[in-house]
Amino acid sequence: METYQIYNLTSAVLFVIGIGGVFAARHFIRKIIATIIMGGGVFLSFVSFAERDALTFADPVPHALVITGIVVAVASAAFALALARRIYQLTGEESFTNDK
Amino acid sequence: MTDLPTSPFPAFLVGLPVLLATLSLFFRARGKAVVGLAGSLLTGVMALFALFEVTRRGTVIHILGGWEPPLGILLRMDPLAAVFIGMTAVVGIFISLYAWRYFRAQEATTGGFPLFWPLWLFLWAGLNGLFLSNDLFNLFVTLEVIGISAVALAVLSGKKTALVAGLRYLLVAITGSMAYLFGVALIYGSTGTLDLGLLGQVLEPGTTTTFALLVITLGLMIKMAGFPFHFWLPPAHSSALAPVSALLSALVVKGAFYILLRLWMEVFGVSLTYAAGQLIGLAGAIAVIWGSWQAFMQTSLKLIVAHSSVAQLGYLLMIFPLLILAPGVTADSADWLSPAWTAGVYQVIAHAFAKASFFLSAGIIIMALGHDRIESLRDLVGHMRITALAIAIAGVSLIGLPPSGGFMAKWMLLKGIFLSGQWWWAPVVLTGSLLTAGYVFMLLRLAFAPAREKEAFRPVPRSLEVCALVLALGSFLIVLPADNLIQFLQSGEVFGTGIESIMEGGAHGND
Amino acid sequence: MSVLIDGLLAILAIYLALQSLLAPRLIKSVFLFFAFGLALALAWVRLGAVDVAITEAAIASGFLGVLFLDALRDFSPAFPAKQKNPEAAHNVLVKNNTKSLLLSRIPLGLGLGLFLLIALEAVWKTPEGGGLTAAAEAFLPESGVEHPVTAVLLNFRAYDTWLEIGVILMGLLAIFAVGGIKVYRKPNMAAQDPMLRQVIMFFTPVLFLFGAFLLYFGKTGPGGAFQAAVLWGAIGILLHLGGKSIIEEIPRWLRQLILTVGILFFLVLGFLFVAGGNALFEYPRAYAGLLILIIETLAAISIAAALTAIFANLNQMKEDPNETESIN
Repeated sequence: METYQIYNLTSAVLFVIGIGGVFAARHFIRKIIATIIMGGGVFLSFVSFAERDALTFADPVPHALVITGIVVAVASAAFALALARRIYQLTGEESFTNDK
Repeated sequence: MTDLPTSPFPAFLVGLPVLLATLSLFFRARGKAVVGLAGSLLTGVMALFALFEVTRRGTVIHILGGWEPPLGILLRMDPLAAVFIGMTAVVGIFISLYAWRYFRAQEATTGGFPLFWPLWLFLWAGLNGLFLSNDLFNLFVTLEVIGISAVALAVLSGKKTALVAGLRYLLVAITGSMAYLFGVALIYGSTGTLDLGLLGQVLEPGTTTTFALLVITLGLMIKMAGFPFHFWLPPAHSSALAPVSALLSALVVKGAFYILLRLWMEVFGVSLTYAAGQLIGLAGAIAVIWGSWQAFMQTSLKLIVAHSSVAQLGYLLMIFPLLILAPGVTADSADWLSPAWTAGVYQVIAHAFAKASFFLSAGIIIMALGHDRIESLRDLVGHMRITALAIAIAGVSLIGLPPSGGFMAKWMLLKGIFLSGQWWWAPVVLTGSLLTAGYVFMLLRLAFAPAREKEAFRPVPRSLEVCALVLALGSFLIVLPADNLIQFLQSGEVFGTGIESIMEGGAHGND
Repeated sequence: MSVLIDGLLAILAIYLALQSLLAPRLIKSVFLFFAFGLALALAWVRLGAVDVAITEAAIASGFLGVLFLDALRDFSPAFPAKQKNPEAAHNVLVKNNTKSLLLSRIPLGLGLGLFLLIALEAVWKTPEGGGLTAAAEAFLPESGVEHPVTAVLLNFRAYDTWLEIGVILMGLLAIFAVGGIKVYRKPNMAAQDPMLRQVIMFFTPVLFLFGAFLLYFGKTGPGGAFQAAVLWGAIGILLHLGGKSIIEEIPRWLRQLILTVGILFFLVLGFLFVAGGNALFEYPRAYAGLLILIIETLAAISIAAALTAIFANLNQMKEDPNETESIN
């Protein structure tokens, strides 16, 4: 088994764990963590392809995409965290009350 | 693709709103609003010029950084993109005018929500960027620009219900984006390109492509609130400020639909089966019935309008089964393709006008009454004739009565359905229209009913009512240039084409 | 051997991800999430993606982890801060119990399991697309920089990067839109804690220099605007915690200028190229290297300021000023 294949398979596992977490976790913070785990899986997939396609250096395009993606994901997560904290301040709720 | 004429317009369509949004940050509350409104008008007018340029020169491109795909990113403004950008411009201009007056009227109590302006301009840049994008990863970035600015606008009121609905909207949006991006990763891994044009040529069917299609479709369905992922939309859209609700319903959800349409038609043709079309059509059909029924059952105006969005978006999904041809049918012999495309485009535009108008009217009523419970709409005609008229006109378009844009959409959809022989979709279209008629006439009956007791209608600026009315009328006026519009769209590459399904699966879903 | 290392690292990442979602206590979740980020960073290094590793460790694990930890003052019962509704918090804890979670989620679990199998098959069978390595290599000499990732970020796909700088600014605006930020109160920990002041005095120049180093050498090796920005942002966060909220203490126009100069300069430069008959972000070849360095520096300043402001705003998000007192 090649290195990239190990991480590629891992990426699918992390992605599915993330999806499961977004739906099943109740606490806001855990839901946000779950989205980051999902993202981690997706990014791992990109970077493992970059390693597979290496010539004198690894494919730089997926690396750049992942750096962009990480920053975008963190901006979204910070916003979600702000919303979660504000909701807790106003209501004391830490999860969606009518769980979907 | 790269031999098409280039134009600077695509660059300005994204850059200008971002420039203006950023500049508005230097001003305080009132200044932000002035820069914001001027910026909206400027962006809108430029978008209309760009639309004009495409009608004159045909599809134009802009090769960013001078690097051609697959290494670089290309912006492409073809007739379909131009029509979506033009629609965003017209609806956006009137919502901006409304927002200016609406926030001014409440400045004393609320502070006038100055952040609306930079966020709306960022949203507009994201929408234009999405319509122009020809790159799978860039589409992800524009989806995120739209997602963050849309949720930020939705929670602007700071109220508890809006915050909770906003957090759910945001989590759903992130999940949808990540699902989409996983598909993009697999596509990049299997082809080494992100450019839609190149992908259409090199993508080969296989397990990976099918899985990528699945996660991309699921991700976009989540974002456009397609059944069964519609749960986040009604609370988020109904709890936002009126101009924001209008933006979210009229424009934002259309972004994900646009990508879905583009990708299915231009990229994933090789992996699509007749059954896949039937399945997504079924999701649309359930949304039409469920959303209309839920709208019928609501007792507050904004919730009625929000649930109605779920149903109206369902109609959009119902064009997919018509665009995927059963095995053995060729695009030349399929005379229902043009009606199906026309139905899709008219449904998008008519819904954008009618729904924006509806939400703006709801905002006027909340301003006059302090709430939007529908029993208080009694004698609306006596107090606010223009708003009542706007609701009636927009409602007629939503139902799909002639001669509205909504009628054009539903008529063409039925025409496509019968020409293609997929008659089982017809009862859904008719039931949806009947249920819509149910809640629209319920509203109108109340509006004409004599007041039981004196409801205190506070005076509302006349210009707000005019904005709502103009948008409502717009949902009728769009029928006038129908022939020209369809001809224009057909000059593009995608419009009027279908997907010739190469796999077995024609037997599925027929009964 | 190398398969063994990678296999163990993969299992570790999966274990940490699962545990961070299942851990009964929130604080444990957050620390496991930290660890997950570091495991991923190691995976990036194993895959030869040093730039990604630095970004992951600095932003996704570091910056976001700090935001989570700061948020725990609101949420976690383990922190003595405040609790509006201890009953509700307790209920949530009980419901989050691993056992009941698993029992009530059997259909979801089955669905996810099936989905996982399809996903594994799909990634396993991915055809070799070949990537864009060759194209990047061919055009690298024309890009103005020597490091391929920087060339992609700041030249070949500069448009994405420009939009991304906008996304960070929007993230800050979005946090403003959430509301709840009434007054800027400077937490006054430094005055009471000489340790903290020493730490800040030591780390400020170190972080600054290290950031500048990463920025400058992003031209030739791993590093660049985003990585430098996080280090500079860390200075802002440290100073904020030490009671010197630089972002809030400077005049308003200067603050807005610092926050927007990255995206504005990038865009105006792009427009100038368009006016000159080129495409957006199409640098004149001779000046590409210099222009990219200027853009990166300004972008790093703006991003650092935005990250500092995001932290400061979340940190001070309080319903009313009285509560701010009790927290600090």
